[in-house]
Amino acid sequence: MHLQLADVRKSFGDNSVLRGVSFDVGPGEVVALVGENGAGKSTLTRVISGAHQPDSGRLLIDGTPTVLKDPQAAMAQGIEVIYQEFQQNLFPHLSVAENMYVLDRERVFGRLFVSKQRMAAEAGRALRRLGMEIDVHRQVGELSVAERQMLEIAKAMTHELRLIILDEPTAALDEQESEQLFAQVNRLREAGVSVIYISHRLDEVFALSDRVVVLRDGRVTLDAPTGQLTPAQVVTAMVGDAVDDFYPKERNAGDEVVLEVRGGNGARFHDIDLQVRAGEVVGIGGVVGCGRSDLLRALFGLQPLTGSVLVGGSAVRVASVEDAIGSRIAYLSPDRQAEGLCMGQSVEANVSLASLRAFSSGGGPLIGVVRRAKERAATGAVISDLRVRAASPSIAVSSLSGGNQQKALFAKWVMTRPRVLLMDEPTRGVDVGAKTEIYRIINQLTADGVAVLLVSSDLPELVAMSDRVVVMREGRFVAELTGDGLDEQSILKHALVGAA
Amino acid sequence: MTSKLKTVAGRLRAVWMLLLVGVVLSVTSPVFLTPTNLLNVALATSVAALLAAGQTYVIILAEIDLSVGSALGFSAVVTALTLGTYGLVPALAAGLATGAAIGLINGLLVTRTRMPSFIATLATMSVFAGLTLHITSGNPIPVTDYDFQGIGQARFAGVPVPVWIMLVAFGVFGFVLARTRFGRYVYATGDNVEAARLSGIRVHRVKVLAFVISGVLASLAGFVITARLSTAQPTAGAGLELDAIAAVIIGGTSLAGGRGTLLGTLVGALVLGVIDNGMNLLDVSPFLQDVVKGLVILLAVFLDRNVDVLRRLVPRRAAQPPARTPELAQHI
Repeated sequence: MHLQLADVRKSFGDNSVLRGVSFDVGPGEVVALVGENGAGKSTLTRVISGAHQPDSGRLLIDGTPTVLKDPQAAMAQGIEVIYQEFQQNLFPHLSVAENMYVLDRERVFGRLFVSKQRMAAEAGRALRRLGMEIDVHRQVGELSVAERQMLEIAKAMTHELRLIILDEPTAALDEQESEQLFAQVNRLREAGVSVIYISHRLDEVFALSDRVVVLRDGRVTLDAPTGQLTPAQVVTAMVGDAVDDFYPKERNAGDEVVLEVRGGNGARFHDIDLQVRAGEVVGIGGVVGCGRSDLLRALFGLQPLTGSVLVGGSAVRVASVEDAIGSRIAYLSPDRQAEGLCMGQSVEANVSLASLRAFSSGGGPLIGVVRRAKERAATGAVISDLRVRAASPSIAVSSLSGGNQQKALFAKWVMTRPRVLLMDEPTRGVDVGAKTEIYRIINQLTADGVAVLLVSSDLPELVAMSDRVVVMREGRFVAELTGDGLDEQSILKHALVGAA
Repeated sequence: MTSKLKTVAGRLRAVWMLLLVGVVLSVTSPVFLTPTNLLNVALATSVAALLAAGQTYVIILAEIDLSVGSALGFSAVVTALTLGTYGLVPALAAGLATGAAIGLINGLLVTRTRMPSFIATLATMSVFAGLTLHITSGNPIPVTDYDFQGIGQARFAGVPVPVWIMLVAFGVFGFVLARTRFGRYVYATGDNVEAARLSGIRVHRVKVLAFVISGVLASLAGFVITARLSTAQPTAGAGLELDAIAAVIIGGTSLAGGRGTLLGTLVGALVLGVIDNGMNLLDVSPFLQDVVKGLVILLAVFLDRNVDVLRRLVPRRAAQPPARTPELAQHI
């Protein structure tokens, strides 16, 4: 498909989100669409997929001006979107085959009664054609995130697919799974399908795309063939001015050991011995499922752990979240929607939630009057310290951008004055500008002597922000990398094949 | 400010409704706006309002308590039986303990067995309604204790005691919800139970305590109804759980959890009370009264969900600040 956007504009109330966007996507072309959160990518996606109508401007498909009045109209043109929250488009209690043909508009598998056998056979053939190995009888709820995503693509290809929009497709995938996805994208390109690839990860953008389109504040600030660009140029187009210091790492490691794990064993990690010193950031490398996230959850009392855990030299119990918080351990969940924030509550209520006891009279487990003035002062200080940008502390946290939500989540844990901070994917789904701000927050914390354990699938981030990286494979520490030995290649090598 | 404005608007919507119904009745009935009648409305509202107060806690937690009517009936019977043998104070204690125990059972079923509260409380509703009938053989138990009757029939400063009980209960539990740590935990847990748990909140305790509060308020409502009638009716609470839930919803509390106020619930209960009263004054058939009530619930929820639709229907005067739509929210 040859899709052309000409001066597309869209406002919501007083907020103009798209201020005249024009660019082309040719057949078989992979266009990387990048921009900070709030730049207008999601709205643009919704315009192209018929979910929103532009206020003005035109959309041309193969040279013909076209109005996509709803998502069905876009689908009829062969336009499909795989959203960031891709699970939403699948039915977890139905099988792979049933999900693939849930619409079956042509009634291929029967009008009233559906032939499940034929459906399964056809689904199996379709998946094999795409080089995917997924059992068509499995319930979708049992599939891994990567498998579900592959299924989404396969489902999109069950009818004529001419343009596909992939919104942050690798956000929840590990290296290997991402490679599979890239192979899939290349296959789509060869089949002449147009691809709009939305990602925050510049390494992917450069590895995969033919052209890069950068959106900033609802305008296209860069549109050029990928081969003629450098990452620095893209980042500059995204944030407006040159960012020299993308990873503003400060080395704050002291001598005192703040967190120590001796002989730590859990369901998916074994014989863990670990020391983190005050102000030190210890990164944990490894593929998704290697046990790195399980270790963090176990240290926060969310999974069973045997062996000893010491904070500041004294043994502590981490049998429950309350224990962990009591031992001044904090945990930043990788899924801020599901586990991090209470989206309907105010910014202030979220920030004070884990430390409310400090602002209330009466020390019972539940009862105690919250001292509003004290709470407001303390949360206000942390909110401005961490530069959480909110119109007011009393607005709902859901109205903040992803980056500011993440900073609010940091603020919640900073309020508990942690000695140990466990972070799992601290910059997931956060735009470039906010990422740098989050790195600065990590610096602030380490300068105060907080010991940090950092898990991240973003390898450049892991390398740049860690003082030291331990690599996990199949639940065990297989390598420790520091200084010159710490680079992306070494982490990958140890994570995938172990010490060679 | 948005969330604050939103909750204020939520309350206001019920207030507007109350005013609207009030104005209509003031015009159509000469009796409506007399102090005596208004006190009657408050008196008639008190039982459902007490149940609704506890229900508000439970619904903000994204749960539901269908057993409040049965809890009211069972604890009323326990109170009446104890009253005859042991006197006033033990009877009140026994009644409150019964309500608390039913709440505790509900809370433990929901948190320990992970049963959906709809099912767990549907079961306990049936169990305690049946036990009440079994104990009494279906017969009402007369109450002759003069002091106890005062709970329902006496006046203080010209206002019936049940109205005072209602106001004090809403004051106390409103304060707990709005200003204490427990109240905050109720909102946080109802909004996102996992995020609350990971913030160190003992979410099971929060839920159990909310069900206990609901049970205790049900027994308080049981005192009022028993004292007013001078008899403990085994079926006194039948169907009242629905009135309570309706009052909570009309008051702007979200069934999805995380949102709602006790003030809203009080207004919601009064809306229902005023409508009942008005239809009696206007001699509407009692059969039709339930129809009207159902329509009011629909209207209240419709208003709550579709403010934007209404904005479009109502011709615009001045430029209004845009409502925060989900699409917009992503870009702020």
